[in-house]
Amino acid sequence: MPGTPVNTKTDNERELNFWENLYFPELFKGLGFSLNKITDEPTYTLQYPEEQWYPPDSYRGRPVLVEENGRPRCVSCNLCARACPPLAISMQSQEVDNVKEREPEWFEINMLRCIYCGFCEEVCPEEAIIMSKEYDMTFQSRDEAVFGLDRLLKPKEQMQDRLEYLDQYKNRQFGQQWDFQQDNNLHSVKDQHFLDWLADEGMKGLKNTHLRDDPKASSGEQSWGSQREEPAFSEHAPE
Amino acid sequence: MATAPQFPGLDFGDKFRFWPKHNEKIYERLEAKHAWIEEKRAAQGDGGVPATEWSEEDPLENEMILNMGPQHPATHGVLRCVVKLDGETIEKAVLDIGYLHRGIEKLAESKTYQEFMPYTDRMDYLSPYSNNVAWCLAVEKLAGIEIPERAAWIRMIMCELARISSHCLWLGVGLMDAGAVSGFLWTFQQREDIYSIFDEVAGARFTVSHARIGGVASDLTPRSFELIRAFCDSFREELASWQKFLNRNRIWIERNKDVGRITKEEAIELGMTGPNLRGSGVEYDVRRFEPYLKYDEVDFTIPIRDEGDCLARYFLRLEEMEQSIRIIEQCLDRMPEGPIRADDAKQAYPSKDEVYYSMEGMIHDFMYTDVGTQAPKGANAYHAVESPKGELGFYLTSDGTGRPFRVRINAPSFTNLQGMEYIMEGSLVADTVVIIGSIDPVMGEADK
Ligand code: SF4
Ligand code: SF4
Repeated sequence: MPGTPVNTKTDNERELNFWENLYFPELFKGLGFSLNKITDEPTYTLQYPEEQWYPPDSYRGRPVLVEENGRPRCVSCNLCARACPPLAISMQSQEVDNVKEREPEWFEINMLRCIYCGFCEEVCPEEAIIMSKEYDMTFQSRDEAVFGLDRLLKPKEQMQDRLEYLDQYKNRQFGQQWDFQQDNNLHSVKDQHFLDWLADEGMKGLKNTHLRDDPKASSGEQSWGSQREEPAFSEHAPE
Repeated sequence: MATAPQFPGLDFGDKFRFWPKHNEKIYERLEAKHAWIEEKRAAQGDGGVPATEWSEEDPLENEMILNMGPQHPATHGVLRCVVKLDGETIEKAVLDIGYLHRGIEKLAESKTYQEFMPYTDRMDYLSPYSNNVAWCLAVEKLAGIEIPERAAWIRMIMCELARISSHCLWLGVGLMDAGAVSGFLWTFQQREDIYSIFDEVAGARFTVSHARIGGVASDLTPRSFELIRAFCDSFREELASWQKFLNRNRIWIERNKDVGRITKEEAIELGMTGPNLRGSGVEYDVRRFEPYLKYDEVDFTIPIRDEGDCLARYFLRLEEMEQSIRIIEQCLDRMPEGPIRADDAKQAYPSKDEVYYSMEGMIHDFMYTDVGTQAPKGANAYHAVESPKGELGFYLTSDGTGRPFRVRINAPSFTNLQGMEYIMEGSLVADTVVIIGSIDPVMGEADK
């Protein structure tokens, strides 16, 4: 039977015999134990500032933005800012004239707020923000701790370790299989190939602004504001 | 010149000065407390005059009020014990907690279920993984989410490692409290090894945040398997050497024997949990009585002791570590290949492959981040796990949105502290540190 409770008491575990009752041998036994550890075991500690610790690929150091071909991968979708539990991320988006159409105008992570949880990396749909191996940061002032694009952007090549780790152990498809192609990810009306193709087909480009009729469309059933109502009490959790 | 208007409420006096009033209340409570020890003495009928009346001159035989903590190294964080001493005996004790209060129950109400997870790391910061798992299991129960098998085994391994890590700290600090400072280093070396494993698996040494609603965040790397296996072997040896050294050590035994005794009835009445309860002979362990994850499929024993003193709890915790190693080894052998998160975008994050390369995946990713798991409206669930400190449970109420309507945390350190005043009364003041160490409260969890 798994998890059987047993009283594993041995007969004389609480009583000491005469020899064990002598005080001094115990002192020397204790010293011997420590001496043994000192002499027999290899050094376990690092002389920290001189010797640096190199973290494994899985390590979650400070978040950085991936720079690909000189541009940030980020499309400024704000999802990381939404997911960030301590609200450390803020950004301003702007439209740009490449395939991705959007980019952050500025992007800030307040490193005093960041708790290195890795949620930003986990939710980012572009693999644009990932955790680096940098773990020792010091600041002279609070302003210095707010990292902007200049300090956040890291070329993709420098982050290969982490990207590979993510690819191997975090990103893997585990459910139903899809036919993955990198191209599937481009849904852009500023993609030149796509526009060329449209022109070939005799179409003159697309309107790229679509306004929704009713921007506040929702069922209106759930309140997300301060007036949340207590639900009716039910006895059991649904199975 | 007009005179300044007389606002009645400008000088609030001491209305908002919390501290003096609080302090006063604590002392009042200490005074008003019914000291059972006096009663016991009377009932035993030794009939002598209470110690305080013996002598007017000798200060040692007078009553004295002593504050231990909150910044006392032996109080495991910020626990304040106000004790009334009668000579060297503690006559009455009052605990003052709340110095680490962060209001995380309230915080949870404004976070999605997933977003709240990193906060649980910071409750019992000595075994963050157990807290992650407890939270996830509670949410999964609330929303009816099934987790894949591999995820369950991974969670189990990590939970048991967290148990070892927490018990290592308890032992090290216990040794240090009793005077053996180097013992602290030996146990911390083992904790360091466990941290390396957490690092390899979860990406952080301390605040792991690795479990996810519906599974776990990432799969184990081959290197983490190696590390875990190597740790199991080396820790067995290390544990045996500790046992050899401490089990027959007169100093250690005399420091712990008959100190902080709780009988079976008292333990149940005071609501103790975890090793403190089992040390008094109550056979209660959530892993066995309400098996979660795969605990009903692995073979292990639950050590019990009857004596209920610090020594009994010492033996018990050491044996628990042995059992944890056994569980981990079985998990490693039996872990199947397979998915690590539920394959349902309403219950867990989709894989990143899916998010990057399919439109549906991306939508799921956005929806899950923003709205999260939506438990049915009005659902309630309580789920408890056996954390190293005892029964750790989350009680959740859902209002149908992605955020809990109310979270109630049943923290083992908090429940264990309930018994502590009682245990301390009647013991010697020098034993308090041993007692606190042996009850093993973590203030991050008790204060929430
Ligand atoms: S989630 Fe990724 S793409 Fe979106 S704003 Fe954040 S970093 Fe940029
Ligand atoms: S690591 Fe966590 S806390 Fe830090 S920026 Fe990312 S989501 Fe925010």
